[in-house]
Amino acid sequence: MKRKLISLILGTTMIAAALTGCGGSGQADNNAPAEAPAEGGDAQEPAAPEADGAGTSEEVTLTVLAGQSTTDAGIEDMIDAALAEQYPNITLEWECVDWGNDFQPKMQQYMQSGLPDIMIGKAQDVATYAPQGILGEIDATYLDRGLDAARENVTIDGKTYGLVYNALYQGVYYNKTMFAENGWEIPKTQEDLQAIIDDCKAKGITPFASHMVDTWSIGNVTMQFMMNDVFNNDPTWGDKFRAGEVSFAEDKMAQTAYQYNKLIFDNTYPETFSTEQTDCDAKMVLGEAAMKVSGSWSIQNFLDIDESFDFGIFPFPNQSGDSKLIFEPNITVMTSANSEHQDAINCVLDVLTGNQDLAVEIYDYTKTASMLKDVTPTFTNPSQSDIDKYAADGMIVDVTLGNNQLVWGGFQEENAKDIAAWLQGDASFEDALAASDARVDASSAN
Amino acid sequence: MKNINKNSMEKNLEKQYLILVLPGLIIFTIGLIIPLLLAFRYSFTSWDGMSAEKPFVGLKNYIDLIQDSDFRSAWWFTIKFTIGNTIIQNVLALGFAIALDSGIKAQKIYRTAFFVPCLISALIVGFVWLKMFSNVLPAVNDLLGTNINFLLFGDGKTVLSGLLIANNWQWVGYWMLIYLAGLQSIPGDLYEAAKVDGAGAWTRFRNVTLPMLAPAITICVVGITTGSLKVYDLLVSSTKGGPGRASTSVIYQTYTTAINGRQYGYGSAMSVSLVLVLLLVALIQVKGLKSKEVQQ
Amino acid sequence: MAWGKKKQKEDTPHQRYTKTTFLIQILMSVMAVFFIAPILIIINYSFKTKKELYLTSPLSLPSSFQLDNYKKAFDKLNLATTFTNTLLYTAVSVLILALLCGTTAWAIARCRAKFFKFCYIYFIIGILIPYQALFLPIYIIGYRLNLTNTRYGIIFMYVATGISFGVFLMNSFMSTVPIELEEAARIDGCSVLRTYFTVVMPLLKPAMATLIIMQAFQIWNDYLLASLYVSKKDLKTLTVAIQSLFSAQSSDYTTAMAAIVISVLPIAILFMSLQKYFIKGMTVGAVKG
Repeated sequence: MKRKLISLILGTTMIAAALTGCGGSGQADNNAPAEAPAEGGDAQEPAAPEADGAGTSEEVTLTVLAGQSTTDAGIEDMIDAALAEQYPNITLEWECVDWGNDFQPKMQQYMQSGLPDIMIGKAQDVATYAPQGILGEIDATYLDRGLDAARENVTIDGKTYGLVYNALYQGVYYNKTMFAENGWEIPKTQEDLQAIIDDCKAKGITPFASHMVDTWSIGNVTMQFMMNDVFNNDPTWGDKFRAGEVSFAEDKMAQTAYQYNKLIFDNTYPETFSTEQTDCDAKMVLGEAAMKVSGSWSIQNFLDIDESFDFGIFPFPNQSGDSKLIFEPNITVMTSANSEHQDAINCVLDVLTGNQDLAVEIYDYTKTASMLKDVTPTFTNPSQSDIDKYAADGMIVDVTLGNNQLVWGGFQEENAKDIAAWLQGDASFEDALAASDARVDASSAN
Repeated sequence: MKNINKNSMEKNLEKQYLILVLPGLIIFTIGLIIPLLLAFRYSFTSWDGMSAEKPFVGLKNYIDLIQDSDFRSAWWFTIKFTIGNTIIQNVLALGFAIALDSGIKAQKIYRTAFFVPCLISALIVGFVWLKMFSNVLPAVNDLLGTNINFLLFGDGKTVLSGLLIANNWQWVGYWMLIYLAGLQSIPGDLYEAAKVDGAGAWTRFRNVTLPMLAPAITICVVGITTGSLKVYDLLVSSTKGGPGRASTSVIYQTYTTAINGRQYGYGSAMSVSLVLVLLLVALIQVKGLKSKEVQQ
Repeated sequence: MAWGKKKQKEDTPHQRYTKTTFLIQILMSVMAVFFIAPILIIINYSFKTKKELYLTSPLSLPSSFQLDNYKKAFDKLNLATTFTNTLLYTAVSVLILALLCGTTAWAIARCRAKFFKFCYIYFIIGILIPYQALFLPIYIIGYRLNLTNTRYGIIFMYVATGISFGVFLMNSFMSTVPIELEEAARIDGCSVLRTYFTVVMPLLKPAMATLIIMQAFQIWNDYLLASLYVSKKDLKTLTVAIQSLFSAQSSDYTTAMAAIVISVLPIAILFMSLQKYFIKGMTVGAVKG
C-alpha cells in the first residue's frame, strides 16, 4: 500500500517532469531564430560539406560542452543564430561551464558516460585528452581555413584534434598616456624596467596593478616569465625536468622566473591579496597604476570602464633582453571520436570556419585576435599596433609550448599556491622550489 | 497459545513497519552508500579519474597520505576552523537567543534579521564577504577616517578570522532559532522556584537554563562541528583556499587533488579518511553529550 | 502565532522590561544592523551601473533607480526556465522527503527489533558523508541507472542526500506522539499505514514544517548535485546559472548581485510565511532532541 503510494508519487513526478520538459525545450527553440542577424552572408555562403547534401534535412541535435572564460559567455547565441541560417536542421544543445573550475570535472564525468559531440576548451586540453583516444580528428577542409600557427600545438603524431578559433595575447599592459607624460620608453631589459619602477616610486605612482587573490593570475604570470626566461633558451625544459636533468632547486633560469613574482609583489599596492581582477583593472584604467602583467581578457574590462582608455602591450623583459610577446590559442574546438553525427559536426565546423560575419562578431565581442585566414576583428584595440609590431619582427611565442610540457591543473596551479605562500612570508623561496620539484609526477597530463 | 498469537501479530506488524522503512533505505543506499563504497574501492587504486584502467596499488595512497604535508596543513586549517566555529557559533547563538528571550520588544524583527543570511547559499556568502572585506569595509574606513585592517582574506594570518566572520554571519541565526525554541519551552515556574531558593541570575542560568537546553546543545554542537569539517562552498567563491594554502580545507584539498590534479584514487583515500574522522567525532560527541543529558 | 505563548510569558516577573532589557535591546539592534548590512549592500549594488561600481564608493546610493541589472539577470539566467526548474525540484523533493522521513522515522521509533536500530545508525551515517568528495562515484551510479539529465534523477538524489537528516529530525519528534493513541487506533482495526496517516501524521505537522523549511533552502541553494545531474539547458537550476556569473574572469558583478536578490527572495518569503510553524516545530524538536 505504502509502496504503491510512493510509486504513485514518483510516477506523477515523472509525468510532470516529462511534460514540463517538453514545454521547456519548445521555448528554447523559439528564442534562437529571434536573435538571428539580418545580414547573413548569402553571397559568401560556403559550400556545404559533401556528405550532408541539401537533401538530408534530418533533424539532428548535437551536444556541446563549452568551457568558457566569462569573456566568451554569450558566443553560443551567436553560433546558434548563424547555424540556424545555414543548417536549420541542426540544433546545438549547449552546456556552458567555467573552464578554470568546471571543464576538467565535466570531462572526467563524461569520460565515464560518453563524450558530448563537440567540446570547446583551450589548446592545452588537446594534450590532455587526445592521448586517451577519445577525440576525433579535425577534417583538413576546416583546418585549412585557419592560420598554420593554429595547428602546431594541437597536433599529436601528425593528427590534428583541435580547431583553434581565436587567440589571446599576454604581456605587460601599460598606460600609454602615463608613459608619454613621464617620458618612459618601452623597457627591453630588466634594467630598463627597474628604471621605470624607480621613477614611478619617486613620483608616487604604483608601478604594477595586480590581483593576487586569484591564484590563477599568479600561475598565469609565472608561465609568462617561464616562457621568456626558460623555454626561450631551452624549448624542451619541461621534458628535461621530468627526465630529472633539470630542477627548480638548481636551475637559475627557472628561479629567476619565480623571482619576478616578488618584483611584482614588492611594486604593487599592499592590498593585492584582497583585490580581484575587476577592481585591479579598474585601478589600471583610473591611472592608479602604470602597468599590469595580464592578457587580452583584461581588454573587455578596460574598455567597459572607459572606452577611451589608451593602452599598449609589451612582453615582460627577460634577463637577455629578447623577450617575445606571448600568444595563447584560446577557444579550441574538439570533437568526439565516437559521435554518431560526424556529418552534422562537420556542418558546425563549416559554420565556424566559413562564416566570416560570425567570426568577426565573435572576435569583436570577446576582444580577441582572429585565428582564421583573412578575417580581422573590427573593434578598436589600442594595443593592436604594438601586437602588429612584435608580429612583424617575429617576436611572438605560443605559450602552449610551455603549457603542454608543464600542465596547468595539478602543476602550475599548485605551484602558484606555493609562490603565494612564499610572497606572503609563510614559506621560504627554497620551500616553494622544493614543492614544485616534488610535484614532478603531476607535471605531465599523461 | 496467547503468546504465540501475540508473537505472530508482532511479526506481522514488523513486516508492515519494514515496508515503511524499505523505500527510504533503498534510495539512500543507492544514492549515497554505494558511491561511498565505490570511493573506498578507488582509494586502493592509482586511477586518474579518466582512463579505463584503474591500477590497484594497495595501501600506497593511505601511506602517502600520512606523509603529505599539504594534506596535513589542510587538516590543521579545518580543525582550527571547526573549533573556532563550534565555540563562537554556540556562544553567540545562545547569547542571542537569551537576549531575544529576555522580553525585548519586536523580537520577530530581530529573529528575521539574524536568520535571513542562512537562506543564502554559501557560495554567494563567500563572494559577498570577499566584497565586504576588500571594498565595502575599507570604504567605511574612509568614511570614518579610521584605519582598521579589514583586508582579512588577503593575509594568511587573518584569513581564518575572516572566514569565521563570514561563516558565523551565515549560521548564527539558524542555531539561535533552535536555542530560542528551547528557551521558550522551559516552564517559567522552574525559574520562580530557583528565585525563591535565592539563586542569582548566573546560578539560575547554570542550574536551570543549561540543563534544560541540553538536547538543543547536542543538536547544535554536532551540527556545527560536522558542518564545519565539511567546509567547501564558502571557500570556492572567496579565498579559493588561499592566500597560498592558508585556507585550504580537507574537502577543498581532496577536490583539487582528485579533479584538477587527476589523482582520483589518491583523492578518494582523502575522502575516506575524512568520513572516518567525521564518524568518530560525531560518535564521541553524541555519546558525551547524551550522557550529560541523562545525568541531568 | 507564536506570540500567544510569548505574551503569557511577558507577564511573569522574569520577563519585565527593565533597564537591562533596554540595554539588551540596544545591543541587539547593533547586532541586527551588522547582520543586515551586507544584505543591504547587495541590494544597493544590484541597482548600480557597471561604471558606478568602479567609480563610486560602495556605500553611496545609486544615482538613479534603474532595473537594467535585473533585466539582464533575467535574460542571462534564463530565469523563466531555471526558476521553474528549481521550484519544481525543490517542491517535489521536499514533499517526498516529508512523507518518506515521517514514515521511516516512525517505523524506526516504534519497532524494537535490532534491524530497526541498525537502520537508524545507518541513516545517521549519511549526515556525515561529505558528498562533495564523492561526486564522481555519485555521477557514475546516476549514469548507470539513467538518472542523469532527468528531472526524476535529480529529485532522487535530493531525496537520497536529504533523508539522513530528515530521519534524524523526525525521529527526535516521535516521543511527542503519544503511543496510546496509536494503540487505540490499532485496536479499532487500523492498518499500520492507516494509523500513520490518520493518527500520527497530523501530530507531526510542526516537525514536517521544520523539515520542509530546512530541506527546502538547502535544495534551493544546492550547487554540486544540480551541476552533476542536470547539465542540459532546459533542466538547469538557478544556483548553477548564477554560478556562471561568478566565474574566474567574471566582471559583471552588478548583474550577479541582482541575480542573488532574485534567487533569495522566494526562499525568504517561504521562510517568513512558515515562520510560526517553524518556530513551533523547532520548539518541540529542541526539547526532545
